[in-house]
Amino acid sequence: MDFDMGEKATQLRSALRGLIKTHVPDDFLGAFTDDPADLEVAQRFCRTLAEQGLLCMSWPKEFGGRDASVWEQTVVREEMWAHHEPRGAQYMGVNWVGPIIMRHGTEEQRRQHLPPIAHGEVIWCQGFSEPEAGSDLASLRTTARRAGDGWRVSGQKIWTSYATMAQWCFLLARTSKEEKKQQGLTIFLVPMNDPAIQVRPIRAMLGPHHLNEVFFDDLKATDADVLGPVGGGWSIVQDVMSFERVGIARYARCERLLVAAPSVLGDRWEDVPAELRGRWTRMLAHCRRARLLAYRVVSLQASGRIQPADAAAYRIAVTKLDQDSAEVLMEIAAFMPRNNAGAGPHVAATEYFRAEVEDHWRYSQASTVASGSIEVQRMLLSRALLAVS
Amino acid sequence: MILDLGTEAKEYGHEALRAFQAAGGDQLVQQAEAKPDAREALVAPVLEALGVWELDPRTDPDSAEAAAALCRSAGYWALPYPFAERLSRPTDLDVDGLVVVADGAPEGAVAAVEKRWAAVTLAGHRSSVTGQVAAGSGFVAALELSAIDNNGAGDVALGLVLPCWTLLGMLDRAMELTIAHVRLRKQFGQPLASFQGVQFQLTDAEVERSGLDMLAKYSLWSLGSDDALDDALALRLAAIEAAEVVFRVCHQLHGAVGFCDETTLSWLSRYSQPLRRLPMGLSATRDYLTRRLARRGLTGLYG
Repeated sequence: MDFDMGEKATQLRSALRGLIKTHVPDDFLGAFTDDPADLEVAQRFCRTLAEQGLLCMSWPKEFGGRDASVWEQTVVREEMWAHHEPRGAQYMGVNWVGPIIMRHGTEEQRRQHLPPIAHGEVIWCQGFSEPEAGSDLASLRTTARRAGDGWRVSGQKIWTSYATMAQWCFLLARTSKEEKKQQGLTIFLVPMNDPAIQVRPIRAMLGPHHLNEVFFDDLKATDADVLGPVGGGWSIVQDVMSFERVGIARYARCERLLVAAPSVLGDRWEDVPAELRGRWTRMLAHCRRARLLAYRVVSLQASGRIQPADAAAYRIAVTKLDQDSAEVLMEIAAFMPRNNAGAGPHVAATEYFRAEVEDHWRYSQASTVASGSIEVQRMLLSRALLAVS
Repeated sequence: MILDLGTEAKEYGHEALRAFQAAGGDQLVQQAEAKPDAREALVAPVLEALGVWELDPRTDPDSAEAAAALCRSAGYWALPYPFAERLSRPTDLDVDGLVVVADGAPEGAVAAVEKRWAAVTLAGHRSSVTGQVAAGSGFVAALELSAIDNNGAGDVALGLVLPCWTLLGMLDRAMELTIAHVRLRKQFGQPLASFQGVQFQLTDAEVERSGLDMLAKYSLWSLGSDDALDDALALRLAAIEAAEVVFRVCHQLHGAVGFCDETTLSWLSRYSQPLRRLPMGLSATRDYLTRRLARRGLTGLYG
């Protein structure tokens, strides 16, 4: 056995930390704030990564990538999430929109969409979930009907992250009614600046701009906007899921915050009750457990031997870690003094840490709901354990 | 990154699983409980045949992997022998095995196994075991000790890691038995497995078991490093937690029959206790690791 990621991965981690330190402000909490400057930080950081060939390093060389190893890709996921995802919304375009277009797109679609993603210039959103189709996605009602030689799309999407800032939408719509609900679905690539699309942000405890409703009112689309075969959308959705098996490296931010807590608290760490420090230790062990389960998924995926249940066990472990560690961190943060007299680096560090912890707690509340609820993960895992269909 | 045991170690573990089955399988622990003095005689021939005592897990990583695979197979059958303790023997003492003990009340699951035992505390104080007093179920004996030296700090990690592999084997089996039970047992006209309440309990147990599987491999790999003891304690912490969840779920889903000695779960569950309680249980292990870590985290991405 060898749990060392290797020298290339170590160097990459170091380089990414250096770039974050240089290009991301010390008080950055992600692009989802009401301050447009935060979005600009993320956009600028993506361009910086692109210039250094680090934005799309997982992509094949023929599309401007580096054919990076799965462990280098893992390092990128870890360092970005641990530092509040300074790529902002663009991580989605890099992680799966681009690769899916490479796999299923026409030459024209590749020419149109891949370079802007690779250069860090475009934000995508995912038009999947609907008010009546969450975990049961295939029940969606947004329809695209034939109109002349094109299409007209009508319907409503919901919980659409990045919709307020996205230029493009990766949209799933029903194009026909078939025997099975998974049939008759089609993917469309549509521009978000079309007046037939309305976005309504949903104010939520997760923070600004996370959640949105998107309304399609007789949106015109052409055959050139269709990705893959008409009616073949469900298999592309499955492909999207395969890129998202590991998902965001939640364990990395949990670990970074837990490890930072004693030094941020300084002498006050000694005031933290032994029972709470014991829970801190337990969370550190759970971080390691989730990280190793993630590595197992990465390894199985790379070898082509992965089953949905392998990823499900990891997803259950990491989403519960996210929430459990957030509770522990919130309690630890309560031992930090408020209203420190004066100013200075330590006060700033304390206030920033408190803000980070609160952001982590808020976001973690959705971790067992987003990107496949924990119930769906349990269903996948139990199906494999019990070999029932 | 290589995240699994080597092929030879895995094959060795499978061979051991078959050999233990051929030697009596589930009957072994029942026979040993009836006649504790016969423990050695029950398992010694099969251990000899497997060449177990030729393994040198302290100095050879391949041997360590093979030893871990063997411990897991032993746990699967609740093998009534202090297998991990024997394999943890220090290289610089002329003894047959090593028991990691708590300060104050040294105990080990070595009752009636007449060997030259050494004991080591988590702080590395080593002793000879000069006498045993049967202390309770699970072949646990209170140990009488005579101090040797304070040079055992490097001995502790392996002595903590291998029993976790044994416990992991017990969890493998408990899950296997429970899955078979809920697929077969019908209530309200349908198999228990068809109820989502049953399915979800099983998934929670499986997350614990599979997480422990990865941590056990990591801590085995880490043996010999500066972090070996912290990693072994973190493993032990996770192992005890996992055992609590897995056995609770497995008992619940077995229902009353799971407490009966005609079911293997009853034996696995009670013989998992020494592994979970010695040298320290959940709270004491967590407390000890917390004091060791002080202000630094476990070695990882940021520690």
